[in-house]
Amino acid sequence: MTLPILPTTMVGSYSMPSWLERLKTDYFARRISRHDLDEIHDCAVRSAIKDQEMAGLDIVTDGELRRDNMIDYFVERLPGIHIDRSSKKFYYDFYDSEVLGKIPMAALGLADDFKFLLANTDRATKFCVTGPHSLCKRVRNKYYPSDEALATDIARVMNMELKELVKAGAQLIQIDEPYYSGFPEDLAWGVKVLNTLVEGVNAKVALHICYGNRYGKPSWEGSYRYLFPRILEAKIQQLSLEFARRGGEDLDLFGEFSAPFELGAGVIDVKDQAVETADIVAERIRKVMKFVPAEKIVVLPDCGLYHLPRDIAFAKLRAMVQGTNIIRRELGHLDSKTKTAG
Amino acid sequence: MILHLNHTRRDSAAASTSEIVSTFLTLLEEGHLSTAEFARLQIYLDWLQYKQNFREPITVMQAATNQSGEPSRVEVRIDSRQVAPGCLRQLVQKAMKPSAAESASEQSRLYLEDFRSLRSSIVWEFNQLYWQRLKDWEHTTGKSYERALPGGASDGHHPQAISDSAREFWKLLKDLETRNQLPTEIFILEIGVGLAMRASMWLDQFAAIDQENGTSFYPRLRFLLGDYSLSTLERSRPAVKKHIDLCSFIALDALDPTKALSFLRHKILHVHSSNMYDNLPDEEVVWRDNRLYWVQVRAYVSAEDAARIGMMCGVQLEDVLRIIHRLLEVGANALPDREKGMAFWMEIWKAIRFEERLVDAMELPEIPLPAGLSYVQMEDILKDAPGDLRFHLSSGALESFRNTLPLLHPRGYLHVQDIFVTDLNEYSMGFYGPGKLDGSIVNWVNGALLREVAHRAGYDLHFTPFPYREGSKTSILRTSQRE
Repeated sequence: MTLPILPTTMVGSYSMPSWLERLKTDYFARRISRHDLDEIHDCAVRSAIKDQEMAGLDIVTDGELRRDNMIDYFVERLPGIHIDRSSKKFYYDFYDSEVLGKIPMAALGLADDFKFLLANTDRATKFCVTGPHSLCKRVRNKYYPSDEALATDIARVMNMELKELVKAGAQLIQIDEPYYSGFPEDLAWGVKVLNTLVEGVNAKVALHICYGNRYGKPSWEGSYRYLFPRILEAKIQQLSLEFARRGGEDLDLFGEFSAPFELGAGVIDVKDQAVETADIVAERIRKVMKFVPAEKIVVLPDCGLYHLPRDIAFAKLRAMVQGTNIIRRELGHLDSKTKTAG
Repeated sequence: MILHLNHTRRDSAAASTSEIVSTFLTLLEEGHLSTAEFARLQIYLDWLQYKQNFREPITVMQAATNQSGEPSRVEVRIDSRQVAPGCLRQLVQKAMKPSAAESASEQSRLYLEDFRSLRSSIVWEFNQLYWQRLKDWEHTTGKSYERALPGGASDGHHPQAISDSAREFWKLLKDLETRNQLPTEIFILEIGVGLAMRASMWLDQFAAIDQENGTSFYPRLRFLLGDYSLSTLERSRPAVKKHIDLCSFIALDALDPTKALSFLRHKILHVHSSNMYDNLPDEEVVWRDNRLYWVQVRAYVSAEDAARIGMMCGVQLEDVLRIIHRLLEVGANALPDREKGMAFWMEIWKAIRFEERLVDAMELPEIPLPAGLSYVQMEDILKDAPGDLRFHLSSGALESFRNTLPLLHPRGYLHVQDIFVTDLNEYSMGFYGPGKLDGSIVNWVNGALLREVAHRAGYDLHFTPFPYREGSKTSILRTSQRE
């Protein structure tokens, strides 16, 4: 599928409606069945896809609305990880989980969720997966000699899963590794593990690194400088970073280092409910273009829209597309009379 | 008849319960109460934390009509602290008289408002008047606000507590420095600084710790002193003059500090407040039969008190209400003689009482829960709570708390010294306000609800009893990041 210049997409998650939160929690309280919850998820995902299309995004995701959070969706499926199902009373909490033995190879079944996305849109798609580094930081390790060893085995299992996604038609897969920012000292082995994860995966691989968005707030502060030059060794084709909330201070790193990958530039602040104007978005893209050519930029929010109310999330996506269209026009890639969804 | 013992004070409880049972049985035997009325009686024996409060010794509250259309229960609330020995029967009979409320209205009570949520009551205007004209009040009583506090001093200014707070913050900065994560500018916020006594002591302590350890954090501090008005902040300047280059004075709304400080979202490493939450607008609710009821109030002054105060201050009875409203606008200048104006203010405040009624939340056009708390969440929180529970919603405190969190740096924390109820069960064993403290209102803060709101916002709350003064009722709330 041919994409326009400055393709627009979400990082992954879309607004989690409060009614869905309630129903997810009802499921944990055994007030509704798994079957009912699955049906509810299908409806919610279709709605999220439709919203992205209406906002004018070029690449859509399933909004990650089936996921309780970025960890449990994977931990529940990973064999050999024991979870205490009584450990959370609110669906968004993390399970207490621990690994007591070697993680065996097994299918995780992610491809089914991807196929659902594919069947419900004719736009380009992206499927997002939490990376092994972030997962290993949330699982109590009672077997492996180090976090690196645990993450490596998780990467091996998930590598097989990524290949399944590719078989199912995935052309763009995003790996989320926000915990890099909390544990910059792990980066050297983190990149090694990431390369194990994507080895032989025949799709475009994006890597998303932010400063956390748990409960809609940052988990860490600092500068992306810690990523360089090590991140240049990552076998990825796109790196997605947050620049809207944090300002563009770290953009000069892309002037300083010659990055072989595209930059997914966060131009929407997902921790502020104020909706950006198209002009602000355009200005942020111009700033990025001072360091990275337009052909190598993907436009997206800083992180997932999970914690924003739906109307605000939608308005932000629209503003993002409209702001991108301003720049496309300036670059002569969009006729000013062309009608666009955004 | 069901008798609820809502306190654990053995001394008064033993005598009062037997006296109450015997009084009501006698009224039944003598025909003052029908058996049907007797069967619907719910007697609540309370012990109010504050001697000065808004209750009559005995109040009768008709609960909202229940959905089945059956006659609703009759609640009799007895403040066992106020009932003088030997007066119970007489007080009960007076309160239980048929249509007592109706006959009282127009005749024996001067109403200051219609029924409404406590949060919207006129008493909060009195509270505001007190803080705006604190000097006038202190001048008249001859004692400072702090001396009027139960312990005669504020725990907010305890030197050891301040020193420990400064040291704890220094340790955080040291840790951030070690991890190479220390921001260039180190923001701290105190909300409700008053005369900045604490801020000044804290800065002195911090400077000393910084010097003692050879670090240079102190010059990087940006200390934000927040209070509700610029004039209050002006008065706080002299106290921090030694540190003035590090200080910024910000007029902010305690209910929404983020509004004035949105440019510092996720940047403040330490936010502190002392004795502020307990003075923010509040309301009470009742959880009964899996339904939520609002306690609506109507403030009044008894006609007897209104006449007495009017005579004392030279105000005709028919003018009392008008002068009260004038008082709320201009303070003691409401009367030509300021001394009489002050006396009018103080006496009216002392005389204000509430009539109460319960309203089913489902009958309200909108359920007025504070932001961050939904009805569904309330149901979840209350599903394990004791039945028939009356408790504070602490709406002002909840709002302030929730609107402060976005200011915190990922490693930052909120530190609040205040009076908290940390477990909903405690509401069955005590009645924690509203009380009158000098000219202000005081309410214990519902820490159990705060904990729930914090949880959903990504924070854990820790409550520690104030360890620096024996007998102190203060607790220290501290947030930590929730993973």
